[in-house]
Amino acid sequence: MTTFVSRLRQSTAAAVLALTASTVAGGALAKDLTITVWAGGSNDSDAYRWEAIEMAADILEKEAAINGEDLNITVESKGQFGNWQEFKQAVTLAAEAGTAPNIVVTSHLDIAPWSEAGYIVPVEEYLDLDAWPLNDIYPNLMEIAAFDDVQWGLPQDAESRPFFFWKDALKKIGYSDEDIAALPAKVEAGEYTLQDVLADAKKAVDMEAVEEGYGFYPRVSNGPDFAQFYQSFGGELIDPQSGKLVLDKKAMESFYQFFADAVEAGVTRKNHLGTDWGQWYNEVANGKAAIWHGGTWHYGRYAQEGNQDFWNTIEFSLIPAGDENGRANTITHPLVYLITDNADDEAEEIAANLVKIASEPRINTLHAIKSNHLGISKQQSNIELYANDRWADEATSRLLGHANSQPNHVNYGAYSEALFKGLEAAWTGTKTPAEAVAEVEVQMKATLGDELIVR
Amino acid sequence: MQRSSWLGLAFLSPALIVVFLFFLVPVVLTGFFSFTNMSTATGVKGGAYVLNASGLRALTDAGLPKSTLEQIEGAGYRVDAKGLEALALDFGKPVAEEFAKLHEGEVFSKRRDVERALKDLRSNPIRKTRDRKQAADLFKRSLMNERFDSPTAFEAALEEAGIPETDRPLITEVAYTGWVWTTDNFGFLFSLDSTWQYAKNTVIYVVFTLSFNVLFGLFLAIATFYLPAGQAAAFRAIWFLPRILPPVLYIVMWRWFTWDTGFISTVLSGFGVPPRNWMLDTEFHAWTTIVLINGFVGASMGMIVFSSAIRAIPASMLYASEVDGASRLQQIWYIILPQLRWPILFITSYQTMSLLTSFEYIYLATDGGPGGATEVWALAAFHTALNNYGGNLQYGLGATYALILVVIGLLASLAYLRLFNFRNLLVKPRIEG
Repeated sequence: MTTFVSRLRQSTAAAVLALTASTVAGGALAKDLTITVWAGGSNDSDAYRWEAIEMAADILEKEAAINGEDLNITVESKGQFGNWQEFKQAVTLAAEAGTAPNIVVTSHLDIAPWSEAGYIVPVEEYLDLDAWPLNDIYPNLMEIAAFDDVQWGLPQDAESRPFFFWKDALKKIGYSDEDIAALPAKVEAGEYTLQDVLADAKKAVDMEAVEEGYGFYPRVSNGPDFAQFYQSFGGELIDPQSGKLVLDKKAMESFYQFFADAVEAGVTRKNHLGTDWGQWYNEVANGKAAIWHGGTWHYGRYAQEGNQDFWNTIEFSLIPAGDENGRANTITHPLVYLITDNADDEAEEIAANLVKIASEPRINTLHAIKSNHLGISKQQSNIELYANDRWADEATSRLLGHANSQPNHVNYGAYSEALFKGLEAAWTGTKTPAEAVAEVEVQMKATLGDELIVR
Repeated sequence: MQRSSWLGLAFLSPALIVVFLFFLVPVVLTGFFSFTNMSTATGVKGGAYVLNASGLRALTDAGLPKSTLEQIEGAGYRVDAKGLEALALDFGKPVAEEFAKLHEGEVFSKRRDVERALKDLRSNPIRKTRDRKQAADLFKRSLMNERFDSPTAFEAALEEAGIPETDRPLITEVAYTGWVWTTDNFGFLFSLDSTWQYAKNTVIYVVFTLSFNVLFGLFLAIATFYLPAGQAAAFRAIWFLPRILPPVLYIVMWRWFTWDTGFISTVLSGFGVPPRNWMLDTEFHAWTTIVLINGFVGASMGMIVFSSAIRAIPASMLYASEVDGASRLQQIWYIILPQLRWPILFITSYQTMSLLTSFEYIYLATDGGPGGATEVWALAAFHTALNNYGGNLQYGLGATYALILVVIGLLASLAYLRLFNFRNLLVKPRIEG
């Protein structure tokens, strides 16, 4: 019995030793890393924003294994934030507290302030921009993800923001099928302007094609879309020579006046801002509004809302010019992958490499087609899933060539908040457009100082 | 000090800790933040020193001599002896020699170009991207886009680059990314029309909600007092629901109630009234909803306090009045209301303070809309400092809004103390004297 016990003891000791040795040895070689990804402004169809990182982690682990390294990456992702404000609040406060996620998917406009604050590190510190797949990404998109000549991030997707027309409503006010088909070209040429939009919307309401307030049915909350209307009246956001932001008072007033006129004419609701997004999508997808504007990703959302027949019910174009000073335009507002400043340099490097792999044309195509965004690199047009998608193809050719982005500038956030507050005041009638512009000027001058040019 | 006094302090200590943590510390911090230009871009914890294209532009505008500007921008990346020596040391002589042969004396404007040149070398032992970047950095002869964590390191770099001493203070100031002390927030705030609009909105909000709270609370308390006990308890429990419901759920119910496709619209459409958003249709609708949403929550508290106070009235007084033939209204007017003076005073002052700073129901219901019509002061502070679409969090300016609210709150407290003569309430009963 005693021999048995002592043997048992010996064998247990040996087993424990062996186990410890193997764990220690294994620990020396293996590298376990948790990479967190937070994505703003995303819903279910945007899941590839973080799933692409999971796929990339798989590839990177395999690459490391070939080099004899045991790399284990756990990707933790979070894509559910109430809205953009809550997402940005969460990231900013987490960064201040030192608990920021490793990878952030956010607006390119955040690059300027976040780089200034030291929340993010440039991807160019870790990646060879001349290597695949980065050398295939459209240069203008790479530029949107750069600030002050430094490549801070990589574009995650591309999009643009078109004007939409409900075909039936147009037919009811006298358009023929040919007229409707010719509309996008007329908008592009500047022959169909925002004044025509008002006239047609008024007709649609008067002839009861749509209810009052549904002639022109704009976006319901702050967003890049409204800067398009400022551009429609000839407004410039940034002065390319000096790199300063521009307040063109005349363009701003005409832009506010357009919305005030729309309310006055009864084609847009005075209390429209703040409408529930779910309600809004449902209404525009099913023909409750005559004319509205949105984004390329709306294509998929309309189908979810029950409109399976986009091409026969809806026409799309650039945002029309406002007057002879402006031009038909659209804003592209790509999201970007950014790497946050982390105490662990290796985590930054791995995060950067994950983002790089996630930009592979094939992986990015999954996101582009699933979420109805546009691709980021040239080779995507050689991938059948992308090339055979009618929406990606037509939206790219009709819109993207005329698209510009909002400027990466440390103070652009303050600029755009002021722009929207002025619009809100003019729209709801608490101020006249001229008064609203006057306050915008005071506000911008005080917050932007020397960084603003007033015209 | 007597032992009993220590015991008193000990019993008070939880309250003192709460006051310290949730009142004094936030107030002091608010005061501190409001004298800074803190924002997302400056960060909270302090900044670094970095010269980038925007900084260079600002320096040009500030009139920095061209020669100094050129010195800052420097040569970009220059393949010189110093760099080649370092390259030989880190990556071996053959690399350095071949690189020297091909590119010595050349100037590259970007690191990417140096990396490309290094990649093209025939004898190339640099096989990792980051190593190649390090190798390229050995040739950097510019101050641009380098982040220095301390002013001394930055000054040292300026000195090394031979920047004239007279220009350095200005360069350091522009290069600093962190926040600075300022009193501009106060002037800026009062120069905006919208600030006065927020003040007006706050007055509307507080006056109407407060009146609703007190009057409706009183009505409920008195009405349930005259009901049989069981029914009274049931009514009070129902009116207490808004207070104990989670705010988000409570507001979701209101939204459903008032939305274009919600309850009111659906019912009224049967009578030919076109559907509309009863919460956001006009300013008047928005204010009515806000006052009701907050009022139902506030009234329940008044109801509870007033009900207990009514019960404390000796029943004999009421019996006596009935014997004298007093009507219900006379009972209320001559017996109940006079004895509710202190509870009414308490509810009024307490709710003024809490309404001044509360915004959660407005945030959830209208978020300040339509068109900023229900944007009250506290909500504006929250939006400015912590919550807006662009993520442009202006902690300094937001704190300024909050600080002014603190001052107004303190002044209102003093006014209430004086107006209602609180000392009288707190005076020791003579019988114990």
